[in-house]
Amino acid sequence: MGSALETGTPSFVDRFPQEASVVKAALTSSFIALFLGAVFGIIQGLHRTEVFRFLDSQFYYTVLTAHGVLMVVSFTIFFLVGIFTWAVVRSLDRPVEDIRYTWAWYGLMVVGTLMAVVAILGGFVPSTELSADVLYTFYAPLQAHPLFYGGLAIFIIGTWLAGADWFRSWYAWKQEHPDERIPLQTFMVLTTMLMWYIATIGIAIAVVGFLLPWSLGLIESVNPLLTRTLFWFWGHPVVYFWLMPAYLLWYTVLPSISGGRLFSDPLARVVFVLFLLLSTPVGIHHQYVDPGIAEGFKLIAMTNTMFLLLPSLLTAFTVVASMEHGARQRGGSGLFGWLRALPWRNPAFTGMALAGLMFAAGGFSGMINAGMNINYLVHNTLWVPGHFHLTVGTAVALTFMAATYWLWPQLTNKPLFSRPIALSQTVVWFVGMALMSNAMHVMGLFGVPRRTAEPQYEGFEFVASFGSITELRMQLALGATLLFISTVLFVVNIALSTGSPTQPGLGQPLPKPLSPAADSPEVLDNLKLWFGIAMVLVVLAYALPLTSIVGDSGIIDRGVSAAPVMIDLLTGLNPVAAVTDTGSRLGVAIWEGML
Amino acid sequence: MNIHSYEKIWLVVAILLIVGFISTVTYGATAVGIDMVDDEGGTVNASALDEDPRFSEPRVEQVGDNEYEAYVVAQQYIFKPDPITVPANSTVTFFVTSPDVIHGFEIVGTNANTMVIPGQVAKITVNFNEPGEYGVVCHEYCGSGHHTMEGSVVVQPEDEFSHGGDE
Amino acid sequence: MEEEQTVRELGHDEFDPNGTLALITVYFLILLVMWVFMYFVEFLGNELTVVG
Repeated sequence: MGSALETGTPSFVDRFPQEASVVKAALTSSFIALFLGAVFGIIQGLHRTEVFRFLDSQFYYTVLTAHGVLMVVSFTIFFLVGIFTWAVVRSLDRPVEDIRYTWAWYGLMVVGTLMAVVAILGGFVPSTELSADVLYTFYAPLQAHPLFYGGLAIFIIGTWLAGADWFRSWYAWKQEHPDERIPLQTFMVLTTMLMWYIATIGIAIAVVGFLLPWSLGLIESVNPLLTRTLFWFWGHPVVYFWLMPAYLLWYTVLPSISGGRLFSDPLARVVFVLFLLLSTPVGIHHQYVDPGIAEGFKLIAMTNTMFLLLPSLLTAFTVVASMEHGARQRGGSGLFGWLRALPWRNPAFTGMALAGLMFAAGGFSGMINAGMNINYLVHNTLWVPGHFHLTVGTAVALTFMAATYWLWPQLTNKPLFSRPIALSQTVVWFVGMALMSNAMHVMGLFGVPRRTAEPQYEGFEFVASFGSITELRMQLALGATLLFISTVLFVVNIALSTGSPTQPGLGQPLPKPLSPAADSPEVLDNLKLWFGIAMVLVVLAYALPLTSIVGDSGIIDRGVSAAPVMIDLLTGLNPVAAVTDTGSRLGVAIWEGML
Repeated sequence: MNIHSYEKIWLVVAILLIVGFISTVTYGATAVGIDMVDDEGGTVNASALDEDPRFSEPRVEQVGDNEYEAYVVAQQYIFKPDPITVPANSTVTFFVTSPDVIHGFEIVGTNANTMVIPGQVAKITVNFNEPGEYGVVCHEYCGSGHHTMEGSVVVQPEDEFSHGGDE
Repeated sequence: MEEEQTVRELGHDEFDPNGTLALITVYFLILLVMWVFMYFVEFLGNELTVVG
């Protein structure tokens, strides 16, 4: 059952070569974004801790914008479209309806990304007007170049078209299988995309309705509270857009590589339905300390958010139970002893297991973030990046990397270049993140702010109630360095795998769950019903807050002027010159040292 | 639907945990009396702050026995007034706004923490006890000089406090 | 590439996730303690709580 060493098991690329090409392209785009994002990440980690600064601090915000967008828009979403294409094609056991359409939406996503990234990187070249130093959240009245907003819009449209592609596949499959339950992986893809269509309403209105025309000079001003609220309408469900592919992997792949079977298909469906219903009507929990939004709306967001914990808590049980099943099938015994029987030498397993473990901690800091009034303690402090580096930064990112170790050979018919390097990569990531994120959480509790190039102030000192700020900064810098090394190990390992000789029998079939879909009520598959309820919940959560914001301060606020983000030519070093300058000084120092 | 009994137990426990979290937060809101920043501060014309009696002259003003109001303007890249001077053992309501971009206003090491959005007025009330000094930090990216944006709150002994504070 | 060694097969009715129940109980207790600590000590014990 499920043994992968059967010779001649056809792999995904054997059965669906054209689809495998698209999946590989999407994953490759994802890893390029990851690597670039990681370069920017290490620059930040060393800069804000005063360990090593070679850029003038105003360029920190260019770096930060690039890091944020590349990591949580490009890396995550390109990976999602790759893995979802694989999952739909595999679970429906049919090729896509029109491969040219598939390449077309992928191409749109690439174009959109390039536009936005060019706009952002333009921030390093002060002599141009091209810049987007607005951070991943691009809050007005800070204003980026229209290329930035246009690029994001095109990217999102690409994802909409991707969803349509998978719905098409499902409709076609349904004609031939009219009485069957939706295969689990396809069910997960479709519910995720329905959630995405609802979620992107907010950002589409913000970007296409306000920010893009405003940056082109077509409208004179925007209402910053309104655009911010529309951003967070999307800004919370997007984290589930990152998480749900990871959950898909934990539910449908992790049990198998643990040596077992998924504990419950029905509960997996329930969890995904809950995400469809609850992911969006919670966005105001990112605005707990915003003026202009009544406390009642914040309270509603809080209770919805607390209930949104439920699908993740259920996932913890189902996924661990599936792993335990695998361990016991491998001969493990005892109340905790079975943990040793798990395949810890398999980097795909260890990566996902460590990612899940870290998610348990990240989930806790998320519970704190949800707690409305306790937000006063942590809002906009370094605690917040501490939290999301555990969740998107590990639960999602490390799972994606681990899944790649498992999937890439099935897309290429070539084994991984090095299993030991892959295994150590996952451990280095975990250790690095534990150090960095712990330091961030603790410094946040001492009041150290996030998103700041130099959190060292003249008029006051941060007071550490245990340890010292200096130690914590060193810890953050060390963690960031380990993460960068880990990223390089991952990318190089995958890149070198293309040099391996092809080999047959790399297919990895997935076993059936212990409790099958038939054990669950058919209403779970009624996507129209769940979509309808989700829309109602979103209207209930947002109609009143949005109308009251517009009523109080207008659909646009003429009192607010645009603040285009342009590096001040007079006060900053050109970063290209800074790099060559530093390089030549290093060169001179080394030369003199040698003489 | 076939759910294993252990998972049913966990489902109930998880819901109890969630209800427990909501109850704690509600306790904070009611018994402890914590109010969230909301729309009570009203709106303001961001480009005409100099015509607003509060923000044309950012200052601290006495409005009752041990009750003060602090009118604060956060702008690229300073807080006005700086320092914000208040007496010990007082209740101070801060009204904070911005003429330019979104800022943050946090009294470092405390729970006094709010966003500052142009066009909106953030209103928060806190109680100061002993004399001392706090830093104030802007924690929302507001432009290339964001990391230089800081202020302070000085809590003076009651007998030393002069009405109106500094500008 | 895998080292799955299935020693025995466990069907739906033969498997009770005792280990999972134990682990999730430990996690629950950690959450409880951390929440109480964070809310009542770190948060309510901090200065300048917003009361209006």
